[in-house]
Amino acid sequence: MSLHIFGIRHHGPGSARSLRRALEALAPDCLLVEGPPEAAKVLPLLMHEAMQPPVALLLYVADKPELAVYYPFAVFSPEWQALHYALQQNVPARFMDLPQTHRLAEWSARQAEAEAAKQQEPTNAPTNLPEENGEAEATVETAEGEPMNAEPTVNECLPFRVDPIGALAQAAGYSDSERWWEHLVEHRRDSQDLFAAILEAMTALRNDLPSVDEKSELQREAFMRQTIRAAEGEGYQRIAVVCGAWHAPALVETSSAKTDAALLKGLPKIKVEATWVPWTYGRLTYASGYGAGIPSPGWYDHLWHSPDRVAIRWLANVARLLREEDLDASPAAIIEAARLAETLAALRQHPLPGLAELNEATQTVFCFGDDAPMRLIGRKLIVSERLGKVPDDTPMVPLAKDLLREQKRLRLMPEATEKTLAFDLRKPTDLERSHLLHRLNLLSLGWGKTERVYGRKGTFNETWRLQWQPEFSIKLIEAGIYGNTIEAAATARVKEQVNGQVDLPQLTAMLDATLLADLPEAVKALMTRLQNEAALTGDVAHLMGALPPLANVLRYGNVRQTDTAAVAQVVEGMVTRICISLPLACASLADEAAEAMFKLLMETNSAIQLLDNEAQLAEWRKVLARMAEQENLHGLLAGRCCRVLLDGGVLLSEEAARRMGLALSLANEPAKAAAWVEGFLKGSGLLLLHDDKLWQTLDAWVTQLHSDAFAELLPLLRRTFATFAKAERRQMGERVKRGADEKTPVFIGSNEFDSERADSILPLVAQLLGLKVE
Amino acid sequence: MSILRQHAEHQFAEELHEIAKSDTRQRPPNWKLSPWAVATYILGGKLDNGFEVSPKYIGNRRIIEIAIATLTTDRALLLLGVPGTAKTWVAEHLAAAATGDSTMLVQGTAGTSEDSIRYGWNYARLLAEGPSLNALVATPVMRAMREGKIARVEELTRIPADVQDTLITILSEKTLPIPELGDEVQATKGFNLIATANNRDKGVNELSSALKRRFNTVVLPVPANLEEEVDIVQRRVESLGRALELPAEPPALEEIRRVVTVFRELRNGITADGKTKLKSPTGSLSTAEAISVINSGLALAGHFGDGQLRANEVAAGLVGAVVKDPVQDRVVWLEYLETVVKERNGWKDFYRACRHLSE
Repeated sequence: MSLHIFGIRHHGPGSARSLRRALEALAPDCLLVEGPPEAAKVLPLLMHEAMQPPVALLLYVADKPELAVYYPFAVFSPEWQALHYALQQNVPARFMDLPQTHRLAEWSARQAEAEAAKQQEPTNAPTNLPEENGEAEATVETAEGEPMNAEPTVNECLPFRVDPIGALAQAAGYSDSERWWEHLVEHRRDSQDLFAAILEAMTALRNDLPSVDEKSELQREAFMRQTIRAAEGEGYQRIAVVCGAWHAPALVETSSAKTDAALLKGLPKIKVEATWVPWTYGRLTYASGYGAGIPSPGWYDHLWHSPDRVAIRWLANVARLLREEDLDASPAAIIEAARLAETLAALRQHPLPGLAELNEATQTVFCFGDDAPMRLIGRKLIVSERLGKVPDDTPMVPLAKDLLREQKRLRLMPEATEKTLAFDLRKPTDLERSHLLHRLNLLSLGWGKTERVYGRKGTFNETWRLQWQPEFSIKLIEAGIYGNTIEAAATARVKEQVNGQVDLPQLTAMLDATLLADLPEAVKALMTRLQNEAALTGDVAHLMGALPPLANVLRYGNVRQTDTAAVAQVVEGMVTRICISLPLACASLADEAAEAMFKLLMETNSAIQLLDNEAQLAEWRKVLARMAEQENLHGLLAGRCCRVLLDGGVLLSEEAARRMGLALSLANEPAKAAAWVEGFLKGSGLLLLHDDKLWQTLDAWVTQLHSDAFAELLPLLRRTFATFAKAERRQMGERVKRGADEKTPVFIGSNEFDSERADSILPLVAQLLGLKVE
Repeated sequence: MSILRQHAEHQFAEELHEIAKSDTRQRPPNWKLSPWAVATYILGGKLDNGFEVSPKYIGNRRIIEIAIATLTTDRALLLLGVPGTAKTWVAEHLAAAATGDSTMLVQGTAGTSEDSIRYGWNYARLLAEGPSLNALVATPVMRAMREGKIARVEELTRIPADVQDTLITILSEKTLPIPELGDEVQATKGFNLIATANNRDKGVNELSSALKRRFNTVVLPVPANLEEEVDIVQRRVESLGRALELPAEPPALEEIRRVVTVFRELRNGITADGKTKLKSPTGSLSTAEAISVINSGLALAGHFGDGQLRANEVAAGLVGAVVKDPVQDRVVWLEYLETVVKERNGWKDFYRACRHLSE
């Protein structure tokens, strides 16, 4: 009987290659891999032809899918290669880590505790601390299986445990541990010795570092030893054990079966399910918050797939990518870059160029020192956008289960035939249904489509057309990558999109959708991005377009639990920016552009009035006043500015009349003068009748006109007045006939008042105003 | 010694000598030092025998390594960067350390002709003796080719585009044909060329892509962090102030920090706390400009004020440095004032001064 321990580095192509070679040489009759034993059921799927790494083993608590652990595998993960080998050779393969049944149970218990603590003192602000701590510890425990809910945390002793080989490489003066490993491993003939050496190095490292007394760590190692003992008991002759290099020494250490059994006694249990989900290379990186992440999955993939001439193949890939993006990259440049990379490696006394040298050579030769294309290379090649696939007969993902649960709870069953539903959003169930459908839409699961129904006004009505498509189940698997509940997944998806390439109008549209889906977390991320985008945009029209919805949010607070302070800050910045850039943006506009700007100006004006902020309003009016006198301003806008100022009480009637006269002076071009009147009066026929001030302004101007001038100006005025409704024009005529002194007649006389009929509408008015009537 | 400024190889002769003595590594043909030793000379460090080498360039080691590695291949080196990022300084020291001679220099200007890059003629001789090698006036580039040294072309992008392209043959064929004599000059091993250029200035002649392809491009960055930049500005302001005999007192660190912060924030398009994004103005806002803003502020304070540098004096120079384009930059500057400076603690005086000038 012999036991062979292979200490590896998670996701290391060098480790994977030597491990595969070592296993082929050893031909073990039993393989034990560090991983969750609960996954044994789904392990055979690994050989399924539709299985394409990167994929992840997902273990989750059956009735609490947000408690879950992922074990990602890439094709270059040593564990993946070992399992692949075992399944191919029909060697029994087992996972030997402490079952997640226990670990998740502990985690769940801790969460419940934290929640209980939170409920005990609900008023204090820092009550969410215990929970965060609990999660952070969970992250540390499962360095290779990342709990999704946990924030990435930095633990001082973590680097050694996550990447002990990196620690050794650093000690040897390498920044890229993978290259150090390559240099050490690739030039060795017999890999058996190598793993013995790693065992030795790790033993030394573990002796040097303070010993880990964390109970869960000890339990894990005890369980691994117990699994090995069990395999030995079954009579296997050549047992191969694959585990993180850090654990390797602990597995050969003599520790009695009895103490191990004692350590593992009485662990809590919870029902755990396992399945496979597709993964991406992007989520294998540190940046995604994955504890055992690697910086450059795409580069590792390249290392794994390139049999030789790694550097040249890489540079050729870079050149191809650049050409796809219409950037120059000639074969001659590849030659020069390869030469430079090699010289750099020599200068740094490395036998072969690593990713650092190749990147520097690429930037210097291909990109002419520019770092913008490097970001593209980083995204597409170094990290790579590769997405894995899992077979269709993979057990259901928790996201699908969550949806099923939600559907049951909200009594909203999927049907293949189309169905129309009307929701009254004042009812809690209907509101939740609407949230669910909006969230699914954010996950590109178009189960329901909103319909605009005319004739039924009011924001509390929403009509949906529902139709379930069979491919939604596959989309659910794909969406499983974002999270285990619909809410979490939709939030993560929006956050991802927010960090992608989007412009201001897109962001505003997304904000709208996100608000409807009630995702406060995602809204927060959107606000941050919105603020940055607002700062950078040079297009005032975009800013003005984004302001009204935000003003609505701020004024009516239809965002739940959104940090309104954040919104206020964004809005304030936007108003300031609009005020600064507006005069410039309005200069010398063509008719069509002026028309568009007119609309934006109106919307912005009402948004700013809605905000009801003294300082902002004053600033806005100051800008409008300046614009009203701007020489090259389109008449339409100048007229409207004047009108807004008149309405706001900044201009007196007489002054407005003076300006009207100025704008309609005969020296002006008729078209411009006509536009001015149009801007001043557009869409206010009814208002003109009921607003005394406006009426008097106009009246004052007309009456002081000389009769000849009046005849000449008449066509210009007619252009605007012709747009008013016929009834309005008639009333205007009547009012003129009555003369200037007469006040607007009041038709409601007390004797004609029918209080009985008036009473009958009071309940409705009360409902509209949200008042309670006894 | 009445020479105002010495060549690098003379000024640092002792260091070069010491480095050469302890340098046992392989040297490229015609180089006075090995690439490792050149890196030590530029970046500073301690030699095995305990000799301290002063750093000539403070910044990223990798950049210097790329530059040196480029010179050891036969590719030419193009140092790009905004003004005031030590391009010329690095080029001079690279040439001095590698080949012991930094004098093979062609200064690029709008008036640089082909004659000053390839060769010219001594017309008296040409008329007297007819075309011959004796009548030829060799340029620094031609001499560097003959002697296997490193030639330098300063401000490459200021040279008219058609004249720039003269370099193509030299860089790709490593030869300089002299059709008048039916002769040519072939480069000796060790010959290479370092060019410097601004990548931000307006009114430059963009390199043709044919020429661009013959260079390895290294971008020298602006100082990496606030402290480094404040340090550089303060040192320069102090030494310049002495040279110009400005009557004002040396500026308070606070005022310098303020100017450098404004420059960095606008240049990087993000506030120092990383919370707010900003638009960047059209100008380059180099460290050198920050130095001149402080200097002119000192002059104002000294001649027209009470000798103390205050927000008003700084603002006067600052607005002019930031607002280069009266339309676009003004928007950028006002946005910056209103959204960032206005809210910042302890910057009220500064805000008022700038606002007053920008109205």
